[in-house]
Amino acid sequence: MVIETIGLCKRYGDKTAVKDMSIAVKEGEIYGFLGPNGAGKSTTIKMLTGLVYPTSGEGQVLGLPLGDVRARIRLGYLPELFRFQDWMTGSDLLDFHSRLFRLKKDPERNRQVLQRVGLLGQETYKVGTYSKGMQQRIGLAAALLPDPQLLLLDEPTSALDPIGRKEVREIILSLKAEGRTVLLNSHLLSEVEAVSDSITIVNKGAVVKSGRMEDMLTEGLTLTVVAEEISDLILSALQTQFGSTAQRQPDGLRIRMKTRSDIPKITALLVNSGVQIYEIKVKTNTLESIFLKTVGEEAGA
Amino acid sequence: MTAMITVTLKEAVRKKTFIVMSILSGLYLVLWTVLLYYSKREMNFQNSEFSAIADLMLSQMGLQFSSMLISLLTIMLAAGSISGEMETGMVHAVISRPIRRVSYVLGRFLGLMILSAVYATVLFSALLLIGRVFSLQTVLSLGIGQIIVSWLLYTLVPVCLLCVTIYGSTLMKTVPNGLLMIFLYILGNIGGMVEMIGGYMNNNAVVSSGIFISLISPFHTLYTEAGRILFPGSGIVSDLMGGMGGLSGSGRAASTLMFAYIGVYAVGFLLLAARRFHKRDI
Repeated sequence: MVIETIGLCKRYGDKTAVKDMSIAVKEGEIYGFLGPNGAGKSTTIKMLTGLVYPTSGEGQVLGLPLGDVRARIRLGYLPELFRFQDWMTGSDLLDFHSRLFRLKKDPERNRQVLQRVGLLGQETYKVGTYSKGMQQRIGLAAALLPDPQLLLLDEPTSALDPIGRKEVREIILSLKAEGRTVLLNSHLLSEVEAVSDSITIVNKGAVVKSGRMEDMLTEGLTLTVVAEEISDLILSALQTQFGSTAQRQPDGLRIRMKTRSDIPKITALLVNSGVQIYEIKVKTNTLESIFLKTVGEEAGA
Repeated sequence: MTAMITVTLKEAVRKKTFIVMSILSGLYLVLWTVLLYYSKREMNFQNSEFSAIADLMLSQMGLQFSSMLISLLTIMLAAGSISGEMETGMVHAVISRPIRRVSYVLGRFLGLMILSAVYATVLFSALLLIGRVFSLQTVLSLGIGQIIVSWLLYTLVPVCLLCVTIYGSTLMKTVPNGLLMIFLYILGNIGGMVEMIGGYMNNNAVVSSGIFISLISPFHTLYTEAGRILFPGSGIVSDLMGGMGGLSGSGRAASTLMFAYIGVYAVGFLLLAARRFHKRDI
């Protein structure tokens, strides 16, 4: 595991920011880290980067205990509240962060990261003259400097326009293609859904749901078939062959499926069994529906 | 740590505080030059003993106000050196890199220390140079040893103040820290005055009160010692000035124990700053 925490807890006086955070992030995956405001996401990320000390619990990042400086040599972090030295040029900022990462001055590396975040040609301007989106990009460029094995992105697109968001999404996917691990905290659920392999939803300082993105999305995969001539034999065949639960409806069937790949097979079974099909609708979960349901249930509990 | 030292230095010299204080220091040197010019012109008609007293007072005044300028500059630059970055969130992107927190604090300290020391050296040299141009007896009679020791003590005032201000910056927000440090600095001056008054009154209780205040705020002791070594006075001048080392203080040399205390005081606050920053959540 690239990140593993067990029962992390952070209290500020009487207030508990994180009460029982246990997460595991595998190497090479994009890990969506979601939760409503005040759920403890940023505090958890700060504990992973060594900015905040846990009150209790334990964890490791890149095989080293939380807070170990050596882990940060291969760790890129873009903070949620990014603010950089506005008197520096983009190039100065990258040189400064290169030195913090114990890297030698390398204009070529700077050029590569600037190109990756779409700021090449803007590096001679002072950071103070950058727009918020550009500052977020230069922050991302700084995080990419050490060729990180693990990247922690805390709301990386909060200041970006839709084009910028798409570009960051592409950067994240390219990092995954290179085998890097990304922990992504974002309120933009569609963005997380588009790139994540796994997601964890946290609320009130603890994990409330966690799993593979694909599994979560197919959890509520339902096929609604408007049809006639449906026998009990077909219902039982659906159950035995696909493990799907089929319910009769006034105008047909509603089938809960386990995987999307069963759709053509089920359709073929129905057609071959002489069922007259008029319409087929596929309904899947969205990350938003999963999130709202999970957090909503928590709030109601 | 060198990255932090460099960035702290570059950041500090770009600050408006530094630019404004540099202009003020330049203006102060000009004013002092004008004052010396007119004083010297008038004193040509006075007797030599009065001239010696006037030279001593002018020299001490030049030194004291320049020391105040450096001290204020140091406080203003250092008060937000850590707290300011905490308030803006700038520290997040720095401390999440492979840098130890103690290196961050020391980098901040060393960067500002270099700046304060260079600034103090420039002012100190300018004062001596101007004094020499106007043939101040106090400056013309200086030996190299006197200059070096007094320069060292004069430079240690802002350095010592910096240690405490950096600690305050790990504890408090910028403005309260700055105000507290200015109060602490003024307190040291008051301690020196109390000590001087006690000396005049020959009252040990008052002198002890001044010394007690100097223990809380020992910066002024360093300054008075620098002044005492640089301008010891002689003959009637010394008698008239009561052997004072400056415009305040008892005029007696600070003990070795006092210097040891100041060393522990400064290093102690710096260590406390590193410890405090190491332990705190960011």
